Amino acid sequence: MKSGSNLERVIMSGRPAVTAELGPPMSADPHEVMKKANILRGFCDAANITDCQTAVVRMSSIAAAVIALREGLEPVMQMTCRDRNRIAMQADLLGAAALGLKNCLCLAGDHQKFSAAGKLKGHPGAKNVYDVDTCQLVGILKKMRDEGLQEGGDKLEAAPKLFVGASWTPMADPIDFRPVNLLKKVNAGADFIQTQGIYDVEGFRSQMEKIRNMGLHERTAILGGIIVPKSAMMLKYMDSSVAGVSVPKSLINRMNKAKEEAGDDKKKAKELQEAEGIKITVELIHQVLETPGVRGVHIQAIEWESAIEKIVKAAGLYPRPDIPEV
Amino acid sequence: MIIGSQKPIEEIWDMVKDFKKVLVFGCNTCVAVCHAGGEKEAETIASLIRMRAAQEGKAMEVNHMGVMRHCEPEYFDPVLDEVRKYDLVLSTACGVGVNFLSERIGNVPVYPGINTSFYGAVEAPGRFVELCAGCGNCILHLTGGICPVARCSKTLMNGPCGGTNKGKCEVSQEIDCAWYLIVERMKKLGTLDRLSEVLPARNWSTSRDGGPRRVSLEHIREYEEREEKKVEQAGGKKQ
Amino acid sequence: MAPLKAEEYPKPYRPYGADIKETRPYSPCRAACPAHTDVQAYVGLIAQGRYNEAFEVITSVNPIASVCSMICHHPCEQACRRCAIDEPLAVRHLKRFAIEKSADYRRNKRRLVEKTKGKSVGIIGSGPSGLTAANDLANFGYNVTIYERHPVLGGMLASAIPPYRLPREVLKEDIDDVTAKGIEVRTNCEIGKDVKLKDLVGKHEAVLIAIGLSQSRSLNIPGAEGPGVMLAIPFLEDVAFDRKPKLGDKVLVIGGGNVAMDVARTARRLGVEDVSMVCLESAEEMPAWKWEVDEAIEEGIRINHRWGPKAVRREGDKVLGLEVVKVKSVFDQSGRFNPSFDNDVTTVLDADTIIITIGQMSDLSFLKDSSVKLDERGRVVWDPATQMSSARGVFVSGEVVTGPGSAIAAVANGHRAAIAVHLFCQGEGIEGRLPDQEKEKISQMPADVAGKIEREPRLAIKHIAPEVRCDSMVHFEIGYDEEEALKEAGRCRACGGGAVVDQKKCMACLTCMRVCPYGAPVVASVSEIRPEYCQACGLCSPECPAQAISMVSYDVREIRNTMHQIIGAIDQKRQEPVIAAFVCTHHVGVFGFDLPKNVRAVPVHCTSRIDILDMLKAFESGADGVAVVRCDNTICKYRGIEHRVSARVGRVKELLGMLKIGSDRVELLPVKSGNGGNPYASVCEDFSGRIKQIGLRQSK
Repeated sequence: MKSGSNLERVIMSGRPAVTAELGPPMSADPHEVMKKANILRGFCDAANITDCQTAVVRMSSIAAAVIALREGLEPVMQMTCRDRNRIAMQADLLGAAALGLKNCLCLAGDHQKFSAAGKLKGHPGAKNVYDVDTCQLVGILKKMRDEGLQEGGDKLEAAPKLFVGASWTPMADPIDFRPVNLLKKVNAGADFIQTQGIYDVEGFRSQMEKIRNMGLHERTAILGGIIVPKSAMMLKYMDSSVAGVSVPKSLINRMNKAKEEAGDDKKKAKELQEAEGIKITVELIHQVLETPGVRGVHIQAIEWESAIEKIVKAAGLYPRPDIPEV
Repeated sequence: MIIGSQKPIEEIWDMVKDFKKVLVFGCNTCVAVCHAGGEKEAETIASLIRMRAAQEGKAMEVNHMGVMRHCEPEYFDPVLDEVRKYDLVLSTACGVGVNFLSERIGNVPVYPGINTSFYGAVEAPGRFVELCAGCGNCILHLTGGICPVARCSKTLMNGPCGGTNKGKCEVSQEIDCAWYLIVERMKKLGTLDRLSEVLPARNWSTSRDGGPRRVSLEHIREYEEREEKKVEQAGGKKQ
Repeated sequence: MAPLKAEEYPKPYRPYGADIKETRPYSPCRAACPAHTDVQAYVGLIAQGRYNEAFEVITSVNPIASVCSMICHHPCEQACRRCAIDEPLAVRHLKRFAIEKSADYRRNKRRLVEKTKGKSVGIIGSGPSGLTAANDLANFGYNVTIYERHPVLGGMLASAIPPYRLPREVLKEDIDDVTAKGIEVRTNCEIGKDVKLKDLVGKHEAVLIAIGLSQSRSLNIPGAEGPGVMLAIPFLEDVAFDRKPKLGDKVLVIGGGNVAMDVARTARRLGVEDVSMVCLESAEEMPAWKWEVDEAIEEGIRINHRWGPKAVRREGDKVLGLEVVKVKSVFDQSGRFNPSFDNDVTTVLDADTIIITIGQMSDLSFLKDSSVKLDERGRVVWDPATQMSSARGVFVSGEVVTGPGSAIAAVANGHRAAIAVHLFCQGEGIEGRLPDQEKEKISQMPADVAGKIEREPRLAIKHIAPEVRCDSMVHFEIGYDEEEALKEAGRCRACGGGAVVDQKKCMACLTCMRVCPYGAPVVASVSEIRPEYCQACGLCSPECPAQAISMVSYDVREIRNTMHQIIGAIDQKRQEPVIAAFVCTHHVGVFGFDLPKNVRAVPVHCTSRIDILDMLKAFESGADGVAVVRCDNTICKYRGIEHRVSARVGRVKELLGMLKIGSDRVELLPVKSGNGGNPYASVCEDFSGRIKQIGLRQSK
């Protein structure tokens, strides 16, 4: 065992792993995190604690992760390359490990201009760091954990035992380079991969075929990304505006139909669409898990953590296995 | 070359309004090519300041002048006495020129008349693009001649990130994804396989770091320093 | 006038850019002019309505400008690069317009020139060459005396050129300019008869013989002696001095040169209906200018080509006709004049009066037994390098030594002689110091450039109808009116007046190369704008970020530096806005430059050369509004400039916005001509109205 985390244990057991996502609040109040942790607890093997996602200031990933851990939910702390140089990153990783965190997902991070897709002011004038990139951060983590060395070469008295993950967008441009992109992350030391949300299952499967041919599915655990659709509008937005995501027309039509069934009743429209969204999600989970080489799913119910329970149950992934530490 | 861009007149006015005699001093090399700070733009800025002063009813003498470069003393030395007659020099050279002239002019303040934008190329008349960040450690041979330091929004060394959207950067549809370009270019060059290697964390110490960077050519400095010493010993003054 | 140093040559009026021009190849018109009149400069000035300055440019090198404006054979036109496009510019006629427009200016500026040299020069002859030398030497500060055998000055201009070509009052203007400088004039004074050459040489430090070719050659054929047969010069002199020569009803002129044309056409004007000519040459070979021939034919004069005179048929005192023999060829194989005849083919041309016009020569009888040597053929021995005869201090100039030529060539030679005399009087060497005649000139217009230029036929010079003009000696040509002149001047492509790069400032940024519609600039280490390509549109100059490009002619910096004067003092209590209107002198400018009082017209060669800075300068000088009035795209002479000009106006709008002066205070106003009235005056008025609405600018 590299870290002994619950996530690692489930993956190593060969059963499909389930991760979810917990977005920390723009708040100093721990209760929001506690509340969400309680909603998710028991329905996933670990939950990602995002790191100022969409380039908006939120409670730090490490702090929120520790709060979640105390609530009995295993966190996957996220770390972006945007805000810290390698000194801060390594210091934070040591601290995180010391506080009991066992999983870390490495990301480039949304650019500071993103500002929640323009919904919030954010800090577009901030200076980004990008001292190292995702691959390099993965490499740094691996070196710290496995060699007990800092990036600069200095020794660590106690190495941080972290299960190292990285994100991967299977279907963004340039599409034929994406497998190489994954290869690099695996070579750098990624133990697990969480992919960008998959709607176009056919496209994902064809990328996975290449991955299998490269043998990458055996060197890392790929968790297929599932973004729970809430409305037709959201699907359309994802299709048109989110990099590497394309949503088949049929799915959008299904959502539209659900919306139309409600007529002018807005509340009902919301309910019907949410119900359809959960249905779609469950179907997607099955399709993704059926794809050879996939070792689990990463379910993102953005600002809708309460849906996870229903989804995981409907997908037949409940209860989550309890694999004791060796 | 160095690309500059003009400052709003109000910002300039705030800088110059308390001076009586102002010289707008143009630089006729890089910043002239990009129509930001050559002699012509210096004259334009001088005209704008005069008009602004007239609006405020302020008596102000504003003239303009230009030399080939502000970053080599030989170019401005011949006019330095003239330049020193002013209360303020508004240099429309790049920041290099402003610093350099400021250190050599004596007790006259030198203010920046333009913004120094980047190192760029003339993509098309009137369109300039940043292609190099001057990081001091060139890796263009590894990236198909396309610089991820200057051209990737995140300066990723192992891109692209997941934000590439139809060849564009997640920051804006106006920005090409540098890594998309790198991959496409290397595909064409038949060197795509080189991108499979993880480029290690960079040594950024050659970039902006630890005071001004200097390049000193020993074979030239050795001789020059001997000459400078001779002049000093002979009682001459070193500029 | 300030005393001149020995080295000083007559300083011509120097328009803006003249110094740069001197270092560059001449425009073909200027190079072709024997006096190197800067045609491009004065035509440009005319186009801008700057007639007095045009006059200055012309007269700076030509003291008989009025004469030339009437009779010059204008080699400038033959050299005009517009020939490659359509037709040459009507340069001579434009010169006439400018001179007539500046008549008052000219008269007012006549004044005495101080005699500072304390030395005197005697000039024999007052034709173009003598008059020019007198003018220059007076300018230098010498005491000049002219000796003229006729009662008036002007030489052949006064005595032989018929008044229908050169009205005497026109000649008088030129002569008055020269004599006003303080020249002693001795008319009715023939050297050798009234005064001896020896006396002149004793009296003056130097003597210049400029007597021209005032004697007609005669023909040595049977019957030529006797009544009814005349020589050209005495005939023309009789006409000039109103001595009414007796002509019959059938006049035959022998000769095919320009003087023969003068003679024939004069005869027509003396009431002879039947005037014919006979010459050795074919129509193509005739030495007379084609336009002279055409005009003569219009006047009903018949020309018998390729016949050689053999004998005058007469009965006693009565001439019956001229027996002529067929010409086989005029020139031999090496192109020399060497006629051969077919003696088997003869005919008789009916005539009762025959006028022989086969060439002129000088009357050099007064030089017999003098120190001025003649060669075996009776010509004056001289040194073209010093303009001096074999007698020290006795100089020669003009046709007496150069042979038959044009008035303007005699002027050029007169200038040379004046410098030679001056150097001699100052005890300095002459050889190698007289100006060269040959000048490097701009080469032919490249075909791709010619293809980009609009075809615009030359504005025809109007003549009095032949049936009317033959009734009198009245000048037969009608001058341009202002609209015509401005239109014609606008045809000039300003060869040599275009863009030049200051190589010290150029940093090879390629802007000019990108901007130029004609591909004129080539940029190696620095930019070089090829004059044979440049059309002087001026588009490049304002775009140059290093201000390295200036225009030889019409540089707007000339305007920019005087903008304060153009705008004038701003009345704080004014009711009407002060408008600066940059007006294109093409098309829209041809209506003259009269605008409403509150509009300050700034004529420019093309709005393409208006810089952002010029517009700003107008505002800086207090203008309430700036109008850039350009020709509509359909008529603009420089295709494709509109976007750049409008971009500049747009930039000024932006800057005015930044300054909170108001971006509406500047406008680009394209104007179509041909809708009657003065279209650009009306757009200026409308614009002025809009500015009034916005309000007048207040200064603190």
